[in-house]
Amino acid sequence: MASTEDRVRKLVAENLEVDGKPLDASLDLNSSLSDVGVSSMDIVAFGKLVGQEFGVTISREQCPTLNSLQELIDFLDSQAA
Amino acid sequence: MSAMWGCRSSNAGSSLYFMAMTVLDVRWWHSFRDIDDILVALVDLSPHAEREGAALRWLDSGEQIRWRRYAYKGPRRRFLLCRAALRVMLCEHLACGNEQLSFTASRYGKPLAQVDNLPAPVSFNVSHSGRHGLIGIARAGRLGVDIEERDSTRDLNLLIDSVLNEREKAELNSRKGLEKTYLFFKLWTLKEALLKGVGKGFHLDATGIAIPVPVLRGEKKSILQLPESPGASWHVEDLGNEDFAAAIAYEEVDSPVEKD
Repeated sequence: MASTEDRVRKLVAENLEVDGKPLDASLDLNSSLSDVGVSSMDIVAFGKLVGQEFGVTISREQCPTLNSLQELIDFLDSQAA
Repeated sequence: MSAMWGCRSSNAGSSLYFMAMTVLDVRWWHSFRDIDDILVALVDLSPHAEREGAALRWLDSGEQIRWRRYAYKGPRRRFLLCRAALRVMLCEHLACGNEQLSFTASRYGKPLAQVDNLPAPVSFNVSHSGRHGLIGIARAGRLGVDIEERDSTRDLNLLIDSVLNEREKAELNSRKGLEKTYLFFKLWTLKEALLKGVGKGFHLDATGIAIPVPVLRGEKKSILQLPESPGASWHVEDLGNEDFAAAIAYEEVDSPVEKD
């Protein structure tokens, strides 16, 4: 089975874009999506997609602690443990 | 400057202001709307080498590092042109030099201005989308702005449950096609402007904000209270046109200001 990182990278590549171009698959996992230039609307939609893909709900209380894709991956792994 | 902005600063004609203007003789923003005592400027974020060169000289070293770190051209340009326009506007508003101006952030990430490392008596907010940027500046009271280029191909189903309450969803579902797209983006920008105005962004529950029914049905502005901001009255206004959706939210200046 694909790792959490692979699944998140796939979701990013298939659903997020900047200036009409898909985000680079080699995206630095320590980047925040907003710092890369992803719009707030895309970030909210991406959160919904992550929830659907992993069967989790990311609460508003948890959002401030998920500043990067790596922190999101760590959170998803902790939910699966 | 006073004529341009309807500016209230008694120091607006200071030498610092004229120093700033001799450095920057090309502008890519203009007054978009005067609302009460608030300046609202629309920023042209189209690619433009001369403007970008002028803008870069206005950024401090930390901002230039941030600018270089953007991997994509669009976000890099939008940050550059918006931040430089914001700097010029704030210098004019505060009658200070660019080198005196710096930025810090609240614990929720909302940018705050400082002059000589002291909190500046100004409230501002910035938004950008595609080729358009929006800057709001007020002397007092919190404010938020949002601008979005409408994308009729966007899957709204991924967003609706995160931002709209049942009443708003029913109103949206009564519309079709372009009318539905326009209403969604109107509601999004009104709510994001409010969330940014409060200063906590999407850490707050957007579905808990009820946009008044007259605004859902076409009115441009209204006043409301927010559960997250008890005691404060917030003005909201739809600033959208055929090129983009946009909104501003600002609190009554005599409302109690919540510290964060």
